[in-house]
Amino acid sequence: MSFATSVVNNTPIFGRMIYVDKSTGLEEINAWPALMIMSSFIWLVVAGILGLALPATQIFQAGEDHYYTAMTLHAAALVFPFSVQLMMGVGLHRSGGCVGKAITGFWPAMTWLTMNLGSAILTVAVLMGLKVSLMVMFPLPLVGAQMGVWSMESVIVGFTGIYLVLASMILFYPILIFKMMFWGRKRPELILSERSLNDPGMLGMILSAMVLFLTGLPLVVVGTTLLLALYKILPMSMAAWAADPVVFQYSFFFFAHNLMEAMAIMVASAIYATLPLYLADGSRKLISDKMANLALWILLVTSITSGLHHFITFYPNQPAALSYWGSVMSWSTGIGVALSIFTIFATIWKHGLKPEVGLIAVLIGWGIYIFDGASAMVTSSIAWAYQLHGTMWQSGHTMTVVLSMALMWMGILYHHYPVITGRKLDPALGRLYVWLMSIGGIGVAMVMLMAGADGMPRRIANWHQENWMFWGNLFMFFGLILGAAFLVYLYNLMKSSEITATVGRQLARA
Amino acid sequence: MRVARDGRTGRPGEPIEIYKEEAIAMLDSVFTGWGAFWAVIAMFAPFALMGIYIVRRKSVSDTGPSPLQPSEFIPLEGVWLTFAFIFFVIINLAGLKFIPWAAAAPSLTAEPAEPITQAVDFTAKSWAYDLSSRQIEAGKPVRFSGRSSDTQHGFAVYHPDGRMLFTMLMMPNTTKATSVVYTFKDPGTYKVRCLEYCGIAHHAMQDELTVVKSN
Ligand code: HEM
Ligand SMILES: [Cu+2]
Repeated sequence: MSFATSVVNNTPIFGRMIYVDKSTGLEEINAWPALMIMSSFIWLVVAGILGLALPATQIFQAGEDHYYTAMTLHAAALVFPFSVQLMMGVGLHRSGGCVGKAITGFWPAMTWLTMNLGSAILTVAVLMGLKVSLMVMFPLPLVGAQMGVWSMESVIVGFTGIYLVLASMILFYPILIFKMMFWGRKRPELILSERSLNDPGMLGMILSAMVLFLTGLPLVVVGTTLLLALYKILPMSMAAWAADPVVFQYSFFFFAHNLMEAMAIMVASAIYATLPLYLADGSRKLISDKMANLALWILLVTSITSGLHHFITFYPNQPAALSYWGSVMSWSTGIGVALSIFTIFATIWKHGLKPEVGLIAVLIGWGIYIFDGASAMVTSSIAWAYQLHGTMWQSGHTMTVVLSMALMWMGILYHHYPVITGRKLDPALGRLYVWLMSIGGIGVAMVMLMAGADGMPRRIANWHQENWMFWGNLFMFFGLILGAAFLVYLYNLMKSSEITATVGRQLARA
Repeated sequence: MRVARDGRTGRPGEPIEIYKEEAIAMLDSVFTGWGAFWAVIAMFAPFALMGIYIVRRKSVSDTGPSPLQPSEFIPLEGVWLTFAFIFFVIINLAGLKFIPWAAAAPSLTAEPAEPITQAVDFTAKSWAYDLSSRQIEAGKPVRFSGRSSDTQHGFAVYHPDGRMLFTMLMMPNTTKATSVVYTFKDPGTYKVRCLEYCGIAHHAMQDELTVVKSN
């Protein structure tokens, strides 16, 4: 039994959600993905409760410090160890089954370890007082330490954690994907549905790993320099260039923005791969692979530089030309999305649909993603950016983009679940989840955008001004529905072990 | 004959001007926070309706394959993409006038730009602003120029009715000051808030500007 399998199968409660079934004969492509998926759900529960704590601290006026602690942990945990890790887990399992290669050894182990250890270390730093928000807001960590707001130790611990998380996303995971795609022995018994690199479902995996790797490298260089200086291995004078706020911010957002885009490309490709399996006429084909791939390429090319829209209100320090460029590229990603919308709708129109719960969950997650995309394009317009930047609109957009992608992966997991665990999920609970998640997800997204339109600032620990509590109460209302959706989803996973005896290999090959 | 909002009427044979003015007046409310929200709904609603219709129809009432051939979808796809493209271009061109730095530039308005006679210079420091002036005359452009002396800060000006008018982002160590030119219409007390998270007293980083009637 591999290390990953034994950790999953011996973990109380969460282990039961995705118990690795060895009788499928697929342990080598299941174990590490299952461990990543399980770990991501633990983070989801913790950070989801912290999400509810945000409006709760306001409703009960529980103090500003608690707000900033919850805010930093909520967002950081839901983006990295929850969403990114869930994506890695499901995506790895999917790729393993497509190319027939084992996911074992050093690289998956390091991917998992650095992600979770790094996130845990970052959590410790935040609890030590380092409240710097998801975006780090450099040079805030250093300035806060100088002002005595938090300790220099917490900064060092925090940067160590962040660094490990970055290593997971920028180095270990992309390298693991490249290694699987281009090297290693193909094992026919591990192939579930073979796909070539021209397949839209496969192309997206490669493109997104490439984006993570390439756009992350500048940040790795800057981060390494800073960390070495913090550990006093390098004199601070040699790290001064990396500690320059503009250098840090631009390399940070060059990566952070493209991380979102890479996740979007990956999830688009996952839909391209999953939708055909649920077509009513059994044709198992998209209407046009060429158009599907074209959309991915457009997304790739336009996304690389669209992150300049983060600095529109920095004019003239960010020259107008760069802001226009960022804005045009952001709207151009919309063209890529428009193309993929057409491909998906036309495919369904042409071939009919088997509306199984997992696929409906994916399509609704995708709908929320499109909604979010519209909000993103709007704020990338320079005129609107000046009136929305720094408001709840941005938090709403950031949260919704991450949430929608996580929802899509959770839907896709419905599809892969039987292959990993040898068990089936209850469709009635699945339908309840889809309803709750649609109402909660769209509700939270809408009210956060509305709060931003109303001028409510993001990341502010005092909502008792200007009637903003009206929005605060709505966050709580829809947040509770969203939280209930997650509970139903996880409960369904847990219950599966009771309602179906394992059917192992048969189910895996079905 | 059309009547403009302020009661002026167009000369016969020249109604175009008024249509144009009205269109621009309408854009004034499009390029606001709430305008942004409705723009999102305008993009999303057709998509959502279309999606629900297609998924319902093709999974419940009429699940069979459609007789349409893939090649027959291509013209439709062309129309759809062209429509999206034109829509995107129109929105972005319409927004140009509302970009603070473009609005202050002479080339967009036929008349020469009004000289900028008022200036507010400020330094942001955790967690307060050091402002060169807190009094501004309505109706005349004012240039805000700001720097930060420690970490990232924002400078957002709120209308007395609660709307956010514009925000600015400052980082330490920049060679230039971040700047915006804005012309206030209504006299009153305007709140200033920092919108870039800057630590545990970020919410307390506020100030006020007074806009007075121009004399
Ligand atoms: C369980 C219900 C949830 C509630 C009530 C909630 C509430 C909130 C609130 C109020 C904020 C804004 C904080 C601020 O800017 O001051 C926020 C930010 C955020 N949330 Fe949630 N959230 C929930 C679930 C989620 C989920 C499931 C995800 C991701 C999968 C998520 C991801 C984020 C992210 C990434 C941000 C940071 C945005 C930013 O600061 O840029 N949240 N959340
Ligand atoms: Cu500030």
